[in-house]
Amino acid sequence: MIELLQLPFMQRALIAGVVLGVVLAYLGIFVTLRKMAFFSDGVAHAALAGAAIGLLTRVSPLLSALIFSMFLAALIYWLEKKSSLSSDSIIGIIFTSGMALGIVLLSLRRGYQPELIGYLFGNILAIRRQDLILIVVLSLLILAFIVTQKRKLTLLTLDREMAHMAGVHPDLYQLLLYVVLAAALVMGIRILGIILVSAVLILPVSSARLLSRSFKSLILWTIVISETVMIGGLFISYYLNLPSGAVIVLTGSAVFSLAFGANAFLRRKKMKSTRPAGRP
Amino acid sequence: MEPLLEVKDLSVHFGNFTALDRVSFTIEQQEIIAVIGPNGSGKTTLLKAILGLIPYDGEIKIFGKKVATVLPQLGYVPQRFAFEKNFPLTVEEFVNLTCRKPDKLPFGGALHAAGMAGLEDKLIGELSGGQLQRVLIAHAMLHQPRILFLDEATSGIDMEGLSDFYSTIQRLNREHGVTIVMVSHEISMIYKFSDRIICLNRDLISHGETKSALTRDVLKKLYGDNVDLKVHSHEGSAS
Repeated sequence: MIELLQLPFMQRALIAGVVLGVVLAYLGIFVTLRKMAFFSDGVAHAALAGAAIGLLTRVSPLLSALIFSMFLAALIYWLEKKSSLSSDSIIGIIFTSGMALGIVLLSLRRGYQPELIGYLFGNILAIRRQDLILIVVLSLLILAFIVTQKRKLTLLTLDREMAHMAGVHPDLYQLLLYVVLAAALVMGIRILGIILVSAVLILPVSSARLLSRSFKSLILWTIVISETVMIGGLFISYYLNLPSGAVIVLTGSAVFSLAFGANAFLRRKKMKSTRPAGRP
Repeated sequence: MEPLLEVKDLSVHFGNFTALDRVSFTIEQQEIIAVIGPNGSGKTTLLKAILGLIPYDGEIKIFGKKVATVLPQLGYVPQRFAFEKNFPLTVEEFVNLTCRKPDKLPFGGALHAAGMAGLEDKLIGELSGGQLQRVLIAHAMLHQPRILFLDEATSGIDMEGLSDFYSTIQRLNREHGVTIVMVSHEISMIYKFSDRIICLNRDLISHGETKSALTRDVLKKLYGDNVDLKVHSHEGSAS
């Protein structure tokens, strides 16, 4: 174990996993409560075009994907405000168009495309030093934003009118949430890939919801589960020599199954204890 | 002296549909003002426009200022509080979240006064409709607003609670000087408890002191002939 932690690629993987584990978990709370799972999926898939632009122009693909996705998030927000189309339709259009553009751009490069596989399925063990610096700095900035603006983001999630009456600017905070979420998703793509990144937003908070009786406990449980899943999945994938992103997601699924079982057991026990005597 | 609330040529459009058409009125004194009208007459739209929750044409001033600058002095209880029922938020967390200065609030006392003591740790998603409505009202009162806007706030409150509710509203107004602007369908309660009335049917039908403005003709204009409304002359009561 100690030897494993001395390996530079493992150190980078762990730091990225731990930092992103907190950020994605926290954002996942707002994503699930606001029913934004499709938004997350859409922006993550459309990010492929951003990464492809970086590969073609020899700019960092992570940086170009970040800028491109944040732009798309702002575009989705603007279209939601200005058009009569439903949010689902707008995201669906951006999702498929971005993905298609990414495939076309990548096809312009000749030969085998290992980057495409890396972006589709992620590879936490292949994170480079400059990627790690970008991930840590941006994650800390996002975390600072979430922690300082938690009350406003939570109010917006609860009810727009309530947020307005409490002095929150709902439109501004919705835009900020979209942009910040897009940035976090792109960083998550390096670990889990375009296809699986949404799982880390949704699985920890869904498991935590089954164990929580207040918003405070939901936040705590979500972060604890997310970190357990990230670190646990990373070690399991290393020892079993399996793809890290997929193993992290499967670890999250296993934790969710346990939480679901525990919740069902406790509910049944509670029902039995409150059932009037003499009734089956 | 500036009027408490001034609404001038207020129009609200949703696409091609006009929900409110050039409505103007002023509220000068700390009174209980009822807003009545049939379904779809623009009552909720009026409240939302006043509070800056929807875009509008025209001019709205509260205490002579733009609404955004006086929001902390306003309370609002919506008709429907459409939140995600799975939101794991306790009543105490809800109040702390929505209050600007939660540490200065007499939280337990206010819930106790609203008959909601002991609900602090209950999840808001687990409250009944009536309980939730009472928490929202208690919560709005906690802010000690100068104007309290209530949009059919009694929905979900039983008959016994209804009278208590209107008494509380009256006490807030008479003893604490809170102006109440309330949308309601309970004509008899409005007749008994409100000082002034605003009768809407997309435009302003009538506005004035309740006893003189709430006439049989006005009620007919609002609700038509099919509604059996017994107004016993101007001095009597309505039901």
